[in-house]
Amino acid sequence: MILKPPDRFVRLLRHAVRNDPAGPSILGDLHEDFVVLAGQRGAAAAGRWYRREVVLLVIGRAFHSTLATFSRRGTMVTLLSPRGFRQDLRSSFRTMRRAPGLYLLLALVIGLGVGATTAVYSVVRPLLLAPLPVEDPAALVWIQNTGQGASLSSITSRSSNLRDFRALATSFEGITGYMAFSDQSTNTLMVGGEPEQTFGFGVAADFLVVLGVEPLLGRSFTAEEGEWGGPRAILLTNGFWRRRFAGDAGIIGSTVQLDGQAHEVIGVLPATFDFASIFTPGKRVDFLTTFPVSDETDRWGNTMFFIGRLRPDVTASVAEQELQRVIGSLKEQQPERWGLGARVTPLQTHIAAPLRPALRLLMAASAAVMLIVCFNVANILLARSPGRSREVAVRKALGATRGRIIRQLLVESLIFAAAGGLVGIAIALPVTRFLAGATGMAIPLLDRITIDGPALAFALAAGIIAGLLAGTMPALQVAEGRESDTLRAASRGATGHRAGRRIRELLVVAELAVACVLLIAGGLLFRSFEAVLGVDLGFEPAGTVAWQLQPSRRFQSFDEMTTYYRMVTDRVEALPGIQSAGLIDGSPMGRNRSWGLRVVGANVDPEKPWTGLFPHMISPGYLETMGIPIVAGRDITARDTDDTPHVVLINETGAREVFAGEEPVGRQILTGGGDEPWEIVGVVGDIRHLGPETEPGVQVYFPMAQMWDFSSLDLVLRSRLPAAQVAAAVSATLAELDPAMPTRDYWTLESRLDRTVSARRFTLQVLGGFGFAALVLAALGIYGVLSQSVAERAREIGIRMSLGETASSVRRSVVGRTLLLAGAGIGIGVLIAQAGSRLVASMLFGVRAADPVTLGSMALILIAVAALSGFVPALRASRTDALTVLRAE
Amino acid sequence: MGDGNRLGEFEMLVLLAILRQKDEAYANRIREDLEANAERTVTRGALYRTLDRLAAKGLVEWDMEPSETPERGGHPMRRLWVTEEGLEAVRHSRDVLLTFLDGLGRVLGPR
Repeated sequence: MILKPPDRFVRLLRHAVRNDPAGPSILGDLHEDFVVLAGQRGAAAAGRWYRREVVLLVIGRAFHSTLATFSRRGTMVTLLSPRGFRQDLRSSFRTMRRAPGLYLLLALVIGLGVGATTAVYSVVRPLLLAPLPVEDPAALVWIQNTGQGASLSSITSRSSNLRDFRALATSFEGITGYMAFSDQSTNTLMVGGEPEQTFGFGVAADFLVVLGVEPLLGRSFTAEEGEWGGPRAILLTNGFWRRRFAGDAGIIGSTVQLDGQAHEVIGVLPATFDFASIFTPGKRVDFLTTFPVSDETDRWGNTMFFIGRLRPDVTASVAEQELQRVIGSLKEQQPERWGLGARVTPLQTHIAAPLRPALRLLMAASAAVMLIVCFNVANILLARSPGRSREVAVRKALGATRGRIIRQLLVESLIFAAAGGLVGIAIALPVTRFLAGATGMAIPLLDRITIDGPALAFALAAGIIAGLLAGTMPALQVAEGRESDTLRAASRGATGHRAGRRIRELLVVAELAVACVLLIAGGLLFRSFEAVLGVDLGFEPAGTVAWQLQPSRRFQSFDEMTTYYRMVTDRVEALPGIQSAGLIDGSPMGRNRSWGLRVVGANVDPEKPWTGLFPHMISPGYLETMGIPIVAGRDITARDTDDTPHVVLINETGAREVFAGEEPVGRQILTGGGDEPWEIVGVVGDIRHLGPETEPGVQVYFPMAQMWDFSSLDLVLRSRLPAAQVAAAVSATLAELDPAMPTRDYWTLESRLDRTVSARRFTLQVLGGFGFAALVLAALGIYGVLSQSVAERAREIGIRMSLGETASSVRRSVVGRTLLLAGAGIGIGVLIAQAGSRLVASMLFGVRAADPVTLGSMALILIAVAALSGFVPALRASRTDALTVLRAE
Repeated sequence: MGDGNRLGEFEMLVLLAILRQKDEAYANRIREDLEANAERTVTRGALYRTLDRLAAKGLVEWDMEPSETPERGGHPMRRLWVTEEGLEAVRHSRDVLLTFLDGLGRVLGPR
């Protein structure tokens, strides 16, 4: 068998050494080693070796030949020597003063690119690059349950899992956790006699110890405080401590009333550790309390997320394998145990995971903008090179070396690149400040977005690299010019430079292609965003206002509670401007949990005995307030009480999926943990409870008078008046009913909806900005190239016109050229966009990557912009006065 | 001799390797010798560049020798030899090295 090295790489190598007299022997040398290696380690290994060797050789040769270009006649030495540097600076500034507008434009163009990339860098860094603000964050892992579905209950774990993982797994230095549902109810903090609605999170007692966070003041929780019925303690977050207690250190050791119970304030968290921004982005966390890992809390089912600290040399996947073994043996010992499962991911990966596709897309987009910037700057510089060549030729004739000339041109690039860097920082500063201050955005670690040392360094480096990249080719081209030719051509009024024009047209096509890719990505995201906003939520968010009610009193019976809440809704409904009011345990896009359901009398699938459902506990009037239609049967009424038969409503998806076409009304189901059946009395319309992008799933509505499984209730009301106007009256009424209940904080469902689409809107806005910048830059590029070429061809055009060509035909030829360039750019852009559609695929909603509407409209926009930018030069060309031009000859 | 022909360490080693192989020197064999006996990794690119540089300085010369063997895929072989100037440069480097090593036996210890 004759072994031959990979053909394509042989050709690549042959091409690379084609000008080298020793080239053929190099091919032979590699071939020889290839044959030997193939004999020793097989053809495949030898092929791999050959490919690598060729690539290394080719790259090395390219690098050294570039270096050699620079070092010809001591160029490199001159480039790096400090001698004459001041003079270069001075003469650069002199050149720039002669054309201040042009250099300002260059700085602005670079600044645009730097601003875009720096803003993205500052967003990406805390999420993907910078370590989390805890001790040795790389060793921290996120442990969640393995259930299916979108609800929190399927990915959280029972506290007994934490207890057993701690005892049995050896991969961890420590495992801790927090109560995932803590943000679904508020806590009333009494300070100085006034109730305040606050947001706390329950954590395992060793939470801060495992994370390696030292309190700023005071101490962490003790083991006793972490026990069921142990001493009650709270740790304040830094922000809350400053806002509510004015940063008073004397607060440590004092007692506050939280939900009617005395708690000792044991410490204050450091400002660097913002619990909310890491674990519950977009939400507010005022304090931490302990969540006991005990039999009592275990009965509540899946409630906790775990965080583990790995021992040195243990990886997340090894830890996961160990937990699987632990789970296996636990299941063997306790076959009836449910809710066991563990998936382990590095904590930082977990936090960034929801945003990773968006961040990747933004990084790619900012790189694309930077690419256009480089093309544009190179283009502008190339446009000037004929003029510069004359100046350079004169300097050469006066004795300047090639090295000195290249250096001076590069110094010039450096100056406007650095200026561009500054402009970029000026652009990035307000953008990042806006982002960091944006509350209500569900984006983790937003508070850590700043323009700091690394970001500044990044901005300057980006600007300078762009300037050098864009400046090198024109500098080499200018310096290459042969003095005698250039001077002669200059005296004649050069008309040539055809090669230069070709390069610049190619650059414009490249710019248009990249701009086209950005526009398509932006267009697809825009269409997705529209689709998300256009989703029928199943309820009417406009005109609703909601409060979370935390009555200070405890109820002894269902009756007492329903009577109290009926009074609340009656009083509120009686206020002017209120159309209707209702109560629910958790309004849409807020609370989220799941229960199991089984139909009485139906065959039970042994594989899947329970169907998952979202439970809702509502008052009569809630469905009407939300605008949720009754499709069949009846609504819940005030006559459904604890003493009457237990009834529920099911949504359309439930009716369809659980009853498969049979009539659900009148059937009975088991759910909610009890043995008593619930009769379905009505079918209601589907609502998207978790947000527009999540399917409704099975939902069941219980009368709150019959199902008391909630820690708080949301009051939702519908009004034609503006929310702020309604709020004052409702707050006053509520405060009258219960002076110890916090009543000031309210929200609208529209604002909740807004938050669920915040990440999408954010990506869209940034990408839209990039697309716009790309469009402006591309337009600038077209305009520049065509005006230059019209100016260069003035003589030719003049002659053509004097021979009878009409103005309109001249215009047509210039605009035709523009459209040709635009067409080429768009064609390439569309191809690239389709090839790269993987980057946006996961972010599309209701639209395909090859969406003809998006592709068509973006192409139209680009063609329109191109035609506009080409029109001015075309007009100028058609006004060429043949006599003037020829007389100037 | 002028500054232009002062040898770098790697250049010196390459020249010596060519001399060791008498009339049989070519790139692959030089590389093998250096990797095996000078205990250094030699990248192909660096070796070719050094050979070209030595040739440009007039310290080595070479000839393209046709080869029909399947081992080389029919590609020719570059035979190298050291010129008189090359030998002079090696001698000079050796003398400098020996001058500086002279009297350091106690410090450096036995080989």
